Amino acid sequence: MRAGPSQEDIRRHNLGALLRHVHLGGPISRAELTSKMGLNRSTIMALTSDLTAAGLVREELPRETGRAGRPSLVVRPESSRVYVFAFDVGPDRLAAARVGLGGAILDRRETARRRGPFDLDELAGTLAGFARQMRRKTRADTVCVGAAAAVSGGVRKDDGVIMFGPNLGAKVVPFGEELGRRLGLGLPVSVGNDANLAALAEHSRGVAVGVRDLIYLHGDVGIGGGIITGGHLLGGHDGYGGEVGHMVVNPGGQPCGCGSRGCLEAEVGERALLEAAGRAAARGESRAAARDGLPEPGDGTRRQGRDAVRAVVDAADRGDIVAQEALKRVGGWLGLGVANLVNIFNPEMVIFGGMLREVYLGSAAQVRSRLATHAMGPQRERLRLRTSALADDATLVGAAELAFAHVLADPLEVLARVTG
Amino acid sequence: MTPLLEARGIDKSFGPVKVLHDVTFSAHAGEVTALVGDNGAGKSTLVKCIGGIHPIDNGELVFDGRPVQVNGPRDAGELGIEIVYQDLALCDNLDIVQNMFLGRERRRGLVLDEDTMEELAEQTLNSLSVRTVKSIRQQVSSLSGGQRQTVAIAKAVLWDSKVVILDEPTAALGVAQTAQVLELVRRLADNGLAVVLISHNMNDVFAVSDRIAALYLGRMAAQVRTADVTHAQVVELITSGRSGDLGLKNGAVA
Repeated sequence: MRAGPSQEDIRRHNLGALLRHVHLGGPISRAELTSKMGLNRSTIMALTSDLTAAGLVREELPRETGRAGRPSLVVRPESSRVYVFAFDVGPDRLAAARVGLGGAILDRRETARRRGPFDLDELAGTLAGFARQMRRKTRADTVCVGAAAAVSGGVRKDDGVIMFGPNLGAKVVPFGEELGRRLGLGLPVSVGNDANLAALAEHSRGVAVGVRDLIYLHGDVGIGGGIITGGHLLGGHDGYGGEVGHMVVNPGGQPCGCGSRGCLEAEVGERALLEAAGRAAARGESRAAARDGLPEPGDGTRRQGRDAVRAVVDAADRGDIVAQEALKRVGGWLGLGVANLVNIFNPEMVIFGGMLREVYLGSAAQVRSRLATHAMGPQRERLRLRTSALADDATLVGAAELAFAHVLADPLEVLARVTG
Repeated sequence: MTPLLEARGIDKSFGPVKVLHDVTFSAHAGEVTALVGDNGAGKSTLVKCIGGIHPIDNGELVFDGRPVQVNGPRDAGELGIEIVYQDLALCDNLDIVQNMFLGRERRRGLVLDEDTMEELAEQTLNSLSVRTVKSIRQQVSSLSGGQRQTVAIAKAVLWDSKVVILDEPTAALGVAQTAQVLELVRRLADNGLAVVLISHNMNDVFAVSDRIAALYLGRMAAQVRTADVTHAQVVELITSGRSGDLGLKNGAVA
């Protein structure tokens, strides 16, 4: 039995902490690192030289500072050399990106996904193909240190199996394992829920940097959520935490894909908005069309997806009364859902992402009226409502952070493993 | 928290017409204060009094806790108060950098210091996370409505301003550009500025504001926290000057 952390544990921890500063905060001088990490100068020097030797960071003289004295060296992430693959599987889109240490998206590929059953072969094949294309364009001295995917569904914490994903047509799919095999990089692919990962992305690089308690709401076909309390993501016992889309706001309301009625997702999701605006495809029609590979209706209006949602918000802005009423209705339910969440979690910030960005901006009067009525005074007093800063990249950026997580936990070991 | 900018008991008449009656208004750093009211309620006049365009008949302006005299736009500018008017006042035939420094160009000796101006313009746009503008050497005539609004706002922020007043910044824009401008307005306040937003669109007001000040026939009906009111209450304040316990009583401030 050991009494405390060993010297080696402490060093590993410090290396990870320093790399995290550089990864999230960008180039930073040794002097600033000394004060931010509370370590002395010689320790910082030893840590940076270890990371430099490993090829994770490099040190440079800063551009002229205009101040007297010897300038402190600036530590930069090796963004173009050390990278991960990030993937996003949404109901309407497949995306892959090569993301450098420090968070820069170096390269990306994207394609539309047709709604329908989850075809593991085709999906993993497409994403692995994207990764291969991007890999071929890299220089010889680059190194891939991880891979992760964001999926629109519930992911089991232990093994990354997608347990449910009604909007993807997925049920118990060992997605990470299959994608890892196809990539052939000898790296495991971590898998996470898209809204959870987007919450982490906004927390580390987006609108919520420095915010410890936040709720991120992600809208596409359904409504997903990511809850961060005290700086940590609320995963729940099995990893399915944060499924706020299935909070019942309207008992006996619209039928939901989960089998219940009046869920937030059923009242606020894409179908609810389009139906209220009289623009939805008849129930079953879109599914049949997707199955048979039929094109969209020929009247020029898209019947589903982000464009259809934008079209409703746009029509409301131009004075279309039906569209305005639809947005009001949806905004009211959204406000009620947010009020419940605010009462329970007392977040500092609620972030609207995905198609909820447009819905919130187009119905903010309803959303906040409901909040003023139903959220308790002290909880809403300092509450900030914001739209996603990373917008459509939030889920990809979140996946990249998930892929970098184990590098930041133990930089040298990971690098030794992937290069050795 | 003391407000950064306060107007106290402002009276303003144009000839026999009294436009502002004893108006009190405040704007806080780090917050968006929405200024709402019907056409002719006095929103633009109040803003022009703050910006030094119109001299005030009565009342005082308090900036950062001390009373100040604003006798013209230059005084307002020196305090760090910038106003972006609806017409934006940009020159179509000049590029973005030239517009941002128009009339306040940086010089190095006898020539213009283009490099420094370019760098400052770039820094300002970056600090506002503006990604919609491709090149800062683009002529303003080639920009969309939303991009023009962005440039006008960036120009107001460039001068180390503390208060930025925006007159109907989304009025002429489509939905996608409105969203970008609203997010920019929010970011200005999150960066620490006091922002005053004049708007008729209640969704815009509720989407980004922290406080709402409602003018009714030249009087301040109420200044409330956005988190505490509903859409219906604000509409009542605008149209009748009162709503329940809020607002004017018998034509006077409660």
